[in-house]
This record gives sequence, structure tokens and C-alpha cells, in this order.
Amino acid sequence: MDIKALLSDLQNFYTLAYRGLLGIVRRPFYFKDAMIQMDYAGAGSLVIVFIVDLFVGMALSLQLSAELSSLGMKMYIGMIVGISVVRELGPVVTALVFTGRVGAGMASELGSMVLGHQVDTIRVFGFDPVKKLVVPRIVSSLIMLPALTVIGVAVSLLGGYYIAVFVSHQSGTFYWSSIRNILTMENVLAGAIKPFIFGYLISSICCYMGLSTKGGAVGLRQSTTMAVVMSIVMIIISDFLLTRVLLYVLGFSV
Amino acid sequence: MIVFDGVSFSYGSRRVLRDVHLSVGFHERVAVLGGSGEGKTTILRLILGLIKPDEGRILIEGDDITAKREEELRDVRMKFSIVFQEGALFDSLDVKENVAYCLREYTSMSEEEIDSRVREILGSVGVEQAIHLMPEELSGGMHRRVSIARSLALGTPKMFLYDEPTTGLDPVNADNICRLIADLSKDGRGFIMVTHKVSDALKVADRFIFLKDGSLLFDGDSRGLLHTDAPEIRMFIEEIGHQGQGC
Ligand SMILES: Nc1ncnc2c1ncn2[C@@H]1O[C@H](COP(=O)(O)OP(=O)(O)OP(=O)(O)O)[C@@H](O)[C@H]1O
Ligand SMILES: [Mg+2]
Repeated sequence: MDIKALLSDLQNFYTLAYRGLLGIVRRPFYFKDAMIQMDYAGAGSLVIVFIVDLFVGMALSLQLSAELSSLGMKMYIGMIVGISVVRELGPVVTALVFTGRVGAGMASELGSMVLGHQVDTIRVFGFDPVKKLVVPRIVSSLIMLPALTVIGVAVSLLGGYYIAVFVSHQSGTFYWSSIRNILTMENVLAGAIKPFIFGYLISSICCYMGLSTKGGAVGLRQSTTMAVVMSIVMIIISDFLLTRVLLYVLGFSV
Repeated sequence: MIVFDGVSFSYGSRRVLRDVHLSVGFHERVAVLGGSGEGKTTILRLILGLIKPDEGRILIEGDDITAKREEELRDVRMKFSIVFQEGALFDSLDVKENVAYCLREYTSMSEEEIDSRVREILGSVGVEQAIHLMPEELSGGMHRRVSIARSLALGTPKMFLYDEPTTGLDPVNADNICRLIADLSKDGRGFIMVTHKVSDALKVADRFIFLKDGSLLFDGDSRGLLHTDAPEIRMFIEEIGHQGQGC
């Protein structure tokens, strides 16, 4: 791809992402479309978020338990699981799951709407596709990814608890009290800001890719793949940058 | 009146139309013929302002639409009723909601009024029984009918645009759609029907435009079309014999 096309692509993406955000506060509002998207993104993702985060929490706890017991520091397991899950793994893993399930769905649905002239139809009927299609998806991601992340974090901690108590034979009360200790304002904030950023990134990238689909089934495959790949890469990179900024702003010493 | 004044258009580096001059009155019954990928759909999208020409102007009733912004194009688009290739029904909505799509947004009808209006329109194209089906449950012919119904839901267009209305249908269904198209234009409102099925075009249109390599290879009546010497068109016409009677 030549530089000029890349730059104009980037510009179109920024425009869409910006207009999508602006659309949240500007008329007209399409509540019903947003509700449908929220149901799909939120309720529809519960089971998979539950399973993935549970196993991530268990695996993490198991690894730590093996390592910490050789150092004789198994009682720290709750603290380390808690910090890793709340600040890092919960938000990132949930966002990755969300990309695979919801983001890919957005891109392929919008892509097939473009190819099937449904987006043209929406424009002919006098609707703005950004308002009608993109804004509801951004709204639903901004609300549902944070909600799913909270659930995912809780489930991960439960998984960690299960391993700590039943495999590693630690005290359950102590596990929960270490978790409570690490749930400080700073730690919670360091994790809680991320899903909003990730949700915005995923939905705007996937909508953009979907809407720029061209060229039949092959084009649809390309745009869906690109949507998922770009979202994952952007989640991981922005996670690092966010962590750097948040730790600084929240006054952690590194 | 639709006027193309030296219109050129390309998708990226792919030149689709070059320097097209064309004028079509709202009362005319036009068939745009051409092979796959010759830019037939592109012409309809240009008329509706969904894409802008690279060069030249497009005038709708003397109004230059090339410089108009998206919000200003709404009035222009309302002059037409469009049925896109494959029908383009919203596949997440059932037939009723597809037809009611614009009614819900632009009118303040009550639920009962919407219901009876939707039934009335569906009845007029002969698919009232499909009201609660989802698009994927419709046969090809019903799909097109619902799409025509949806395009008629809001008021009265001045002209109809059809993109491949009979493609993919069996001869009986194609014939029925042709009859519906002819019926809708009985009151003198014209249409532009894009198709690669010459047999169907001959049934309903009285002006024929043949697109080849981005230009108009032919523009005239059926007699002219059937007696042309241009080999590309002859090939197309001879298809009729092979297809059987079509429509
Ligand atoms: N969004 C797009 N981006 C890039 N190229 C496109 C796009 N849409 C159409 N094209 C290309 O432009 C050319 C003309 O397309 P158009 O859809 O107008 O053809 P058509 O005559 O309607 O063909 P068909 O009979 O297949 O519907 C085709 O070669 C097509 O591949
Ligand atoms: Mg076409």
C-alpha cells in the first residue's frame, strides 16, 4: 500500500472515530439500535467472558503458587493475583475476548451490509450511517466492555481463589483479605479506565473496517481479519501506553 | 430530467465511466444494459448522489447535485424510489419492519396506522402474507417485491430505479416482476432499469442504453437495438435465444 492511500485511510478512520464519539451527544439518537447492540455485545458475551476469565485466573494462581511455594511466600498469592488481574489481565483479556466475539461481528455485519447495498439504502432513506450504525455500536461497547470487565475481574479472582484454597491449601479468608487490601483507589482506577479506551478503540476500528469493505467475499474476509488484527494490536500497544501514563499519574513508583 | 454532463468516474485506479453524456426524462422507461462490471450499478449510485463523479456534472431537474452535501441530497433522493441489486432488505429486521423503516422515522403514525399502511403496500405488490417473515425466509421473487414495497412506503416517487430486478429469478417470477414494474409505471412515471437480461428489458422498456468500456455504445429504441451491427450487442441479444423466452 502506498503512503498516500495509507494516510487517507488514517484520516478517514480518525474522522469516523471522531464523528462516532460526537454522535453520542448530538441528535438524532437511535436508542433502539443501541439497545439491540448492547444486548448482543453484553448479554451475548457473558458466557465466553466468564469461561475465559475464570481459566486465566486459575492458571495465573497456579503458576504463582508453584513459584511462590519454592520461595516460601505462598501467602502473597492473593495479593499478586489481585494486582495482576485488576490492573492488567482482567481488562486486557476481556477486551481481547470482546474483539473476537463482538468486534469481528461488527466488521463482518457492516461489511456485508455495504456489499448488499444496505448501507446505500440507509443513506437513500435519509439516515446518516454513522449515526444509525456506528454510534450505537460505540455506545454499546463503551457501556458493555467495562461492565464485562468488572465481571471478568471478579470471575478471575474467583478462579484464583479456587486454586489458592483447594490446590495450594491457603486460607480463603486470608486470600480475600489480601484482595481487599489491594483494592485501593489507585489500583482500581489503573484498571477501570482501560476498558473504556479499549471499547472505543475496538468499536471504532471494527466499524471503520466493516464500512470500508469492498470486493465481495474476499474483501469481506480481508476487512474482518484486518479489524480483528488491528484491534488486538491496538489493545496491546495502548495497554502499555496507558499503564505507563496511569502509573505515573496515580503516583506509583516504578 | 436527469442529465449526465461529461461524467467520468473511477474506483481507485479502475476507470468505470468515461465522459458520459446522457439525459433521461422522468417519464421515460429506460433499460441500461451491459455486461457484469461495466458500471451499471455505478450509474444508479451516481444519480442518487451516493458517489460523486471525478469529472463532469449530474443535474437532477436542473439542480447540480455534484456539489451538494449529504444533508442536502435528501430531497433529491426522495424523488426516486430505488430497488438495489438483490433487494438489499435489512436482514436483521422482518418484512414489516423493513417496510415500516421510513414510516417510523418520518411520520408520527400510530402502531395501528403503520400496520395497516404496511399491509396495504405489501398487498399492492402481492406479498401481504409475508408480513411477519424474515428476509432470509423469503423466496427470490418475494424478496424483490418486498424491496419494491419498501421503496414505495414513503409517498410518491417521481421515478423508479431498479438494479437487476429480475436477475436470479426463475422465468415465471421474473415475468411477474416485469409486470409489476410495468404496472407501477402505468401512470406515466418512468423508470431506469439496470439489467443484463435483454429479454426482460425488451418486455418493459422503450429506450435502451448499452454500456461498454465506460461509454454508451448504444442509445435508442428496441428496433435499433435488435438491428444493430455492434458485435458486443449482438452477442447479448443472441443470449435471448439461448435463455428461452425469459420474461
Ligand atoms: N466500492 C467499490 N470499490 C472498488 N471497486 C468497485 C466498487 N464497486 C464497484 N467496483 C468496481 O467497479 C466496476 C463497476 O461496478 P458496477 O457495480 O457499477 O458494475 P455492474 O455493471 O453493476 O456489474 P454487475 O452486473 O456485476 O452488478 C466493477 O468492475 C467493480 O468491480
Ligand atoms: Mg450491478
